[in-house]
This record gives sequence, structure tokens and C-alpha cells, in this order.
Amino acid sequence: MMTEKELIGEIRKLRQIKPNKDWVSLTKSQILPDPTFREWSFWNIFSPEKWWGAKPALATVTVFGILFGIFIFAQNSLPGDFLYPIKKTTERGQAVFVSKEELPKVQLELVNKRLEELNEIAQTNQVKKLAPAIQEFQASISKAAQKLSGAKEPNIKEIVTAAKKIEINKQKAETLGVVMGETEKLDNAYRPFAEREIQNLENSSLTEKQEEILKEAKEYFEKGDYSTTLIKVVEASQVR
Amino acid sequence: MANLRKVFSKIYDQYINKIYRFIFLKVNSQEIAQDLCSETFLRGWESFKNGNKIENPQAFLYKIARNLVTDYYREKAKTRVVSAEFVPVADPRPGLDERVMLGSDLEVVRRALAILKEDYQNVIIWHYLDDLPIQEVAEMMGRTEETTRVLLHRALKALRQKLT
Repeated sequence: MMTEKELIGEIRKLRQIKPNKDWVSLTKSQILPDPTFREWSFWNIFSPEKWWGAKPALATVTVFGILFGIFIFAQNSLPGDFLYPIKKTTERGQAVFVSKEELPKVQLELVNKRLEELNEIAQTNQVKKLAPAIQEFQASISKAAQKLSGAKEPNIKEIVTAAKKIEINKQKAETLGVVMGETEKLDNAYRPFAEREIQNLENSSLTEKQEEILKEAKEYFEKGDYSTTLIKVVEASQVR
Repeated sequence: MANLRKVFSKIYDQYINKIYRFIFLKVNSQEIAQDLCSETFLRGWESFKNGNKIENPQAFLYKIARNLVTDYYREKAKTRVVSAEFVPVADPRPGLDERVMLGSDLEVVRRALAILKEDYQNVIIWHYLDDLPIQEVAEMMGRTEETTRVLLHRALKALRQKLT
């Protein structure tokens, strides 16, 4: 016969009956859902509430991240590409912060960029992009000529550096068989500066070598090749 | 609301094991015990969040659990007289708790406890398993301490008889 103490001991063994731990936590989460917890789903992650309400900082950072990524990709785009207008807008934006005297140089650098794009297109044989690239090049020439005409005291050395680069890229494009169209507008825009620099040199005392280069410069001027004239004039001022 | 959730979360953690065990000892099925236990806490939470004042959460939860067990057996009794087509087919495989119980001394005690009348079951569970003092058990049963002691004595005697 079991004593009372033994019986109570047997009863207390029933304490071993316990619910399954997983079930306990699952039931708790169902009865008392954590308001900050949401199950993973596409909508939970990309819902407007999450991005614009609950996590504005994260949303801002992400949006800027995406824009930055697009910006970087756009810098390598070519005329005719989907992202090319972004590249152009960026360039226009950069030009806003440039002083009036620096604008001709910046525009000439853009002419060079357009030529580089044109060369890349020609080299990779992307025929469909050729026409928009030539259009972009012509537009950049017009704008550079306009800025050169409007400039009173541009830095001639910087302009000559850009002009030299343009000549190299033009020759490269011609070698690749690209017909770029007329570039007279830009050449004509160099004219007043070329003329002024020739006069300056004539009024200075020159060495024999300088005289020789000045002579060449005048010949180019007579031919209407004002960019080469400018290159020669600067060359003359640099030699002794 | 967040504060209420926090308070009830503590109540849940504190009493889930006891309430589950209480129900399991009466229904002897893990699945049914889980269903009734989660329903107990769900009703408790609904009442709590609606602002009902709950002075003794343990007594409150046990009251819900007792009512649910009573309802369960009432429904079970009804299903015995309905057409066989509508009787749910029970899963013959034992649950985890049932497997632990089967073939052990625990099963013998559990079976004996299960066939006692409800008041005897409750007084034994609350006093010897939950370690509630007689005063608290008396309050939960709506009796005096004296009659609760007598009830406990009779319950033990009845259990011993079932075991022999």
C-alpha cells in the first residue's frame, strides 16, 4: 500500500508534462504578434509605407544610392544610349559652376569628349550610334564657338592645349573613316584670338627661331587654319 | 498597447506550462491540449487588452481553461449521437507527450487522475503540481479553506483507491 508521501511523489512526477517549446513560442507570436516584426515578403520590403513612412532615412540613402549608380553608369554611355541624356545633363550642371572666362576651355574639352565618343563608336562599329554621335559633336562645336566668341580674355594656353587635342582626335576619327562634317565654326571662332596673338608677337622683339614660327603661323592664318595658327603662335612665344 | 502586450507576455511565459499541463491531464491529447491552451490565452489576451481588470491572472486563466475543457467534453458528447459521416477521424498516432507517457508510471497516475471527478482532479493539480497554497486553491474553487482541505483529503484517498 502506497503511503501518502509516496502518492504525492508520484503525483509530482506529472510535472514532467510540458508543452513543446516550439509550439509555445509559435503560439505566443500568434497571440501577441510583435508589431515591429513582419514576415518577409516582396511587398513588406518594397511597400511605400516602409520606404516613405517607416524608414525615411533608409529610403533616402537607397534612392541616393540608386541615383549615384545611374550617374556612374551614365558617364560611360554613348550617344544613342538610354542613359546618355543624364550624362549631358550632368555636363550642363557642371558648366553652371564655371566662370565666364573658363567656359571656352570647358566647352572645348566637351568637344574633345564628343570626339572620343565618336572614335569609340567607330572603333567598336556601333553603326546605329554614329549619326547621333556626329550630331552631338556638331552641337558641341557650335556651343564651343559661341563661348569662344563671347569670351574677352580667355587663357590662350589652355585653349591651345584643348585645340591640339581636338586636332589629334579629329585625325583619329578621319583615319577611322568617320565623316564628321564641317568644323569651320570653331576654326572661325579662333580667328580673333589668332589675329591678336600675331599682333602681340609682331610688336615684340623675337629671336630668329621665333620669327620663323611666326612666319609659319601667318601662313596658316592666310589659309584660314586658325587653330593651327594659334598653336604656332603659342609655340613661338615659348621658344627662345 | 505595447505595455499591455509586455505585461501579458510575462503572464504567458509564467503560466503556459501550468495551463497546458492542466488541460493535457484532462483531455489526454497533445493536439487538443494545444488547441485549448492557445484558445485559453487568446481569450485571456482579448479580455486583458479590452481593459478588463484581472486581479489574479492565474485564477482567471484557469477559469477560462476549465470552461473550455467543459465545452470540449460537451461537444464531444454531442458528436457521439450525430451521424458517423460527421465524426472527425482521430489521428491514431500518439503525440509526443502521449509517447512519453505510454508505458510509464506516469501513465498509471495520469489515468487514475483522469477518472476522478473534476473537483478532485483540480484540487490535486493545483495543490500538488502547481504548489498553490490551500488558501489560493480554496479561492479558485469558491470554497472555504476547511472544505478545501477535506476535499483534498478525499481526492487523495480516491486516487489511491484507483491506483490499487
